[in-house]
Amino acid sequence: MFGYYVRLGLRQLRRSPVLTALVIVTLAVGVAASMSTLTVLYMMSSDPIPQKSDRILTLTLDNAPADSDGGEEYRPRGLSWIDVRALREGGFGLRRSGLYGTGGIVEPQKEGVKNFVGDGLAVDRDFFAMMDAQFAQGAAWSADDDRNEARVVVISDTMAEKLYGRENAIGRTLKFNGNELRVVGVLHHWKMLPRFYLLENGGRGGGPGLADQEDLFIPLSTAIATEQDINGNVSCQADAEPGFKGLIASECTFLHYWVELPEGSDRRQWREYLAGYVAQQQQRGRLKRPEPVRDYDVLDWLSYVGVVDDDTRLQTLLAFGFLTVCLVNTVGLLLAKFTARAGEIGVRRALGASRAQIFAQYLIQAGTLGLVGSVLGVALAYLMLHIMATQSPDLEALARMDTLMLVTSVLLSVAAAVIAGLLPTWRATQVVPALQLKSQ
Amino acid sequence: MLKMEGVQKIYRTDLVQTHALRSLSLEVEEGEFVAVTGPSGSGKTTFLNIAGLLETFDGGRYTLDGKDVSRLSDRERSKIRNVKIGFIFQSFNLIPDLNVYDNVDVPLRYRGLASGERDRRIKEALERVGLASRLKHLPSQLSGGQQQRVAIARALAGSPRILFADEPTGNLDSLMAREVMNMLEEINAQGTTIVMVTHDPELARRMHRNIHIMDGQASDFEDRSDAPVDRIAPRAAAAAPAVG
Repeated sequence: MFGYYVRLGLRQLRRSPVLTALVIVTLAVGVAASMSTLTVLYMMSSDPIPQKSDRILTLTLDNAPADSDGGEEYRPRGLSWIDVRALREGGFGLRRSGLYGTGGIVEPQKEGVKNFVGDGLAVDRDFFAMMDAQFAQGAAWSADDDRNEARVVVISDTMAEKLYGRENAIGRTLKFNGNELRVVGVLHHWKMLPRFYLLENGGRGGGPGLADQEDLFIPLSTAIATEQDINGNVSCQADAEPGFKGLIASECTFLHYWVELPEGSDRRQWREYLAGYVAQQQQRGRLKRPEPVRDYDVLDWLSYVGVVDDDTRLQTLLAFGFLTVCLVNTVGLLLAKFTARAGEIGVRRALGASRAQIFAQYLIQAGTLGLVGSVLGVALAYLMLHIMATQSPDLEALARMDTLMLVTSVLLSVAAAVIAGLLPTWRATQVVPALQLKSQ
Repeated sequence: MLKMEGVQKIYRTDLVQTHALRSLSLEVEEGEFVAVTGPSGSGKTTFLNIAGLLETFDGGRYTLDGKDVSRLSDRERSKIRNVKIGFIFQSFNLIPDLNVYDNVDVPLRYRGLASGERDRRIKEALERVGLASRLKHLPSQLSGGQQQRVAIARALAGSPRILFADEPTGNLDSLMAREVMNMLEEINAQGTTIVMVTHDPELARRMHRNIHIMDGQASDFEDRSDAPVDRIAPRAAAAAPAVG
């Protein structure tokens, strides 16, 4: 009977076309509004590195003075160079990297290409393997380069294209903030959403968390040695001497530290290591605040930093509120549509249809409308996402609907139509056949 | 075949109670062709709706084909309507956006028959009413007489034990009405019991027996020449829906 009901459902689309069109458009607009905002929320909340997000860990240390009266909101999210340097030397984990965001003038040293401002990241060599970044040319710099503060750089494919076209970039030099750097690697375009390793200002708008990949990567040791600018938050818990040297010798926080544990390893060992580190630092008079260390895996970190901000949540709630309004309208329209079919319902009842069969038939009809509405709804959602993407580069990365969201849209539309169809369908089953048969 | 004992039906509104049937008792034997007559508002259609299990009743007892059908669930009543009962209405009641074939298919679908069996029955029924060549026509493309023949084919396709007809010729001209009556007589001759509500005394006289309903009560007239001629009575039961 299911196939029969679906065929009847498709046939009834042609009857009362104005009402049918209204139901479909109402559903489609509601579904499009809710799905486009839900897509943004979903993309922001998605796991950026699902294959090992539980093995990539970071930490925060509360290095404020013991008598500081700062509350939870003042707890630093970054780390000081004192701690990052010590943790790097500690050597715990399969891979590890300190990092901070930098930026400055790139001098291409090529005729015809003007200087430009580039976004950069100061990292250790393990960073690339830890993040599963793939190289189009060359490779990461060596461990020796890290130790020796080598003047080397890894650049993005976009930057390589801009500077060298299709020619080999390896071995060429460019100047970054006046320092001559040798290109050792070019990354394949590298999608990661959000870029969890550096989420400044809650990730949205200000930080690179939702933006495209960085233009260039230099060794952290080189960046410190050459005093590269800090492109991100610097938070100082106590006075610092002026200048970059004063900053790196202080408790000011501007770095992050990520560790990758081997597969199947126990996070408890990482915690024991951190506890040991804190104990050691406490002997030196640091980290005296309660709960001085907290550790996070990737998803914990996204949640702690609040990559999904309250505005986005509110927007999604509002969109679903709008969908509810659309549903209420759909209920009214379906009531009108089904009431017009009272005569047919009477005939079907007289010919042997039970109430349950009428209920199934009309609910499937509502579902059929939902299915057609979903096609229009998905098209509208794509249009809305496209418009969102043109509004801000940050949103461009988010405004993409994947298969899961596409399937969700279709299911949401059908479910919405079926829910909206419940009352009209129940009313349809209450038709008194005797009345309809005489009055036709 | 059909036996009603003291059947009562009361329509209630906030202001008024209307007794559409007052202790109606009657019996129809298997194979009979019975006319139900009576003035407007006398309870003929209410009787037909109750007999066809389209409506419930408030008191009394109703036995159909040897089974007490007084207190059945919606599913059971629907099943009996589908399997044992055929309906023919004054206004044909075809589904306008289904073609002739699909209209006749409706009751067979609810019976859950296999497609081959349904196809055989549909074509056989349409053959019987002379519309085998109009399978793909929509009701709007047929004359009134042809539409009523489709409705008859729809009723016959399920091989019902009893056929209820509510003024089946009421919307037809005399030529078509005669054609439809001949067809019903033929169906009855092949063994199907028919109960037909009619206002037309001439048609009533053609049947085996007349049952006259007046003020919700029935009286039998074996000798059909004595049957009262219908007249338009004051609508005593005007508040009652579809009491005709």
